[in-house]
Amino acid sequence: MALINFTGIEAGNWTVLAEDEQPTEGAKVAASVTRIADESEEFFAAVGELGAVVSTETAYADLAPLLNKLSFVAIEFPAFTDGRGFSLAVRLRKDLGFKGEIRAVGPVMPDQAMHLMRSGFDTVDVADERKEAFEACAARFKQFYQSDYRGAVSIAHARHSSDESRKAS
Amino acid sequence: MYAYDQFDHAMVASRNAEFRDQVERRLKGELTEDEFKPLRLMNGLYLQLHAYMLRAAIPYGTLSADQMRRLAHIARRYDKGYGHFTTRQNVQFNWPKLSDTPDILDELAEVEMHAIQTSGNCIRNVTTDQFAGATADEVADPRPYAELLRQWSTFHPEFSFLPRKFKIAITGASADRAAVKWHDIGLVLKQNDAGEVGFEVSVGGGMGRTPVIGKVIRDFLPEKDLLSYMEAILRVYNENGRRDNKYKARIKILVEAMGADEYARQTEAEWDRIKDAPIDVPEEEAARIKAFFAPPPLEVLEETNASVDEFASKNFLFASWLNNNTNKHKVPGYVNVTISLKPHGGIAGDATAEQMELVAALADAYSQSEIRVSHEQNLILPHVPVKDLATIWADLDEAGLGTANVGLITDMIVCPGLDYCALANARSIPIGQAISNRFDDMKRIQDIGPLKIKMSGCINACGHHHAGHIGILGVDRKGEESYQILLGGSGAEDASKGTILGPGFDEHGIVDAVEKVVAVYLGEREEGEEFLGTYRRIGAQPFKEALYGTH
Repeated sequence: MALINFTGIEAGNWTVLAEDEQPTEGAKVAASVTRIADESEEFFAAVGELGAVVSTETAYADLAPLLNKLSFVAIEFPAFTDGRGFSLAVRLRKDLGFKGEIRAVGPVMPDQAMHLMRSGFDTVDVADERKEAFEACAARFKQFYQSDYRGAVSIAHARHSSDESRKAS
Repeated sequence: MYAYDQFDHAMVASRNAEFRDQVERRLKGELTEDEFKPLRLMNGLYLQLHAYMLRAAIPYGTLSADQMRRLAHIARRYDKGYGHFTTRQNVQFNWPKLSDTPDILDELAEVEMHAIQTSGNCIRNVTTDQFAGATADEVADPRPYAELLRQWSTFHPEFSFLPRKFKIAITGASADRAAVKWHDIGLVLKQNDAGEVGFEVSVGGGMGRTPVIGKVIRDFLPEKDLLSYMEAILRVYNENGRRDNKYKARIKILVEAMGADEYARQTEAEWDRIKDAPIDVPEEEAARIKAFFAPPPLEVLEETNASVDEFASKNFLFASWLNNNTNKHKVPGYVNVTISLKPHGGIAGDATAEQMELVAALADAYSQSEIRVSHEQNLILPHVPVKDLATIWADLDEAGLGTANVGLITDMIVCPGLDYCALANARSIPIGQAISNRFDDMKRIQDIGPLKIKMSGCINACGHHHAGHIGILGVDRKGEESYQILLGGSGAEDASKGTILGPGFDEHGIVDAVEKVVAVYLGEREEGEEFLGTYRRIGAQPFKEALYGTH
């Protein structure tokens, strides 16, 4: 697998905790939301950083109580067509103010690179042979018709901006 | 008309480069058909029964004469010399070669057209009143808002992989010619007591196998808030719409399950949080877009013209065409001309390259170089001087475009059906042809009066059969094509769902059945009463008795 990094965030080397596995002290450890909720406070106390692996079914509000413990959220797409993952990332940024790494995991397509990036994902795990296609797709479009919750402004705003650099397309 | 600036050109050019790359990878075998499928669909490229089909977008049904000429060129060079205009005001080419499709998209881009989001589970081409900006019964021109929606919905980062396709329609007129209540979102422009322009917003309409009429969730949305409110509606849908069953994935199912009040509540709650984010465009941008749709400078002319009247008095077909195919313009002395793409015995919505070129030439000469496509699969020349109507009709008639049947029984919506479509269960086109041949008598169909037949070759309802005064649904019954008949639907401001009358008929029986339904109407109608009015007054029973002999 290759990791595509859209934002240049310092992407962690995350270990996803298997069932019954104990976290390694000081490591970057990710686990399911239920696991994080079910284990005692002390269980994850020694890890370096904690991440959550969530499905696209997850309601963003359920993540709110955990979020101050997390520096990483991996959203698992069961299929590339499951667009809930995009809204979940938007919710994490927009409604929960999450600043950590959001990673897409699962069968997403290169042609979704710009959707992922603009919805608030930092990174995506892709098969090695798709790395090049992903990078090409992420670089293809320069400006977009929508503002997004990363702070990019829409073409509609850029058209009337006094900042000339925004008008260069 | 809207004209692209450098941003719009760059967007389409990038998309076309991407698509060309995808097609090359497919042709080299680097992409499997399974991988290629979602990519091509997002560019409107379908694999039909016999060939690929390319659906190009005609945003809100507005075309320039130059764009129409380009469609004619594409039809001639890359297809079999014709194109098909659809109920989403788009155009389909039925026989392109896969390897040619990137060139076709480049040809379209040169005239500021594209095929973006004409398919896929995303926000599709926004449709509107074919007379927008040219009709007397309008609060405001809906096209600037449709253009705002087009741009906002193009490659939306969050809403390009929705549970299912998503269709928005908008009208500015009191007469609903855009079937807004049958859309996932329907927008009706209105003025509030303070004279401000805004929208009545309905959600959850749709056809398909579960026909539902949309429900109003907001009486008045200020125009400046359009996009943020759309975002709120779409987010609630994207998060909560069903994804386990494609037949239950449209927003209509979610709105029914949740209740329209709850859908409104969740939308409003989300909208409260985002309405100050930079989603809606700056005022200057709204003004920039509106300026493209400024009314053409039309000099007021005489409402009638002696030579036109004289020609009409001598020529029954021209007089009929004046009655049926012209619509009142907001400026005296002008009309909007509807060119029927329903010649009796012909294929609904089809036009040859030569016909497209004639329409383009007429648009240059008489309609400010503007052409519209209606969701009823006809073409419109807006802003036409009354004094030129006889000349225009003569040119149209010579090219097989002079049929005077707009709004009458032979002006049918007909889906492509089993002649083209991989989803169809039954043929539609030959049934449409047989019905229009049966009623090929201008005196008779004018006596019958306004009557909309809408026909689909399967339950997906592309032919809007639920909204037909007479709807026809083709089904597969033990390997045989069978045609059910529905009565009482409407796609207008009095939207209603048609009701299935009884068992289906074979391809000959359905034509007889339509004729019997018409006979019942003619026998029962009161003075001045149209078909739908009679049906609503007397109910289904007399029609059932005539068709099935039941008591």
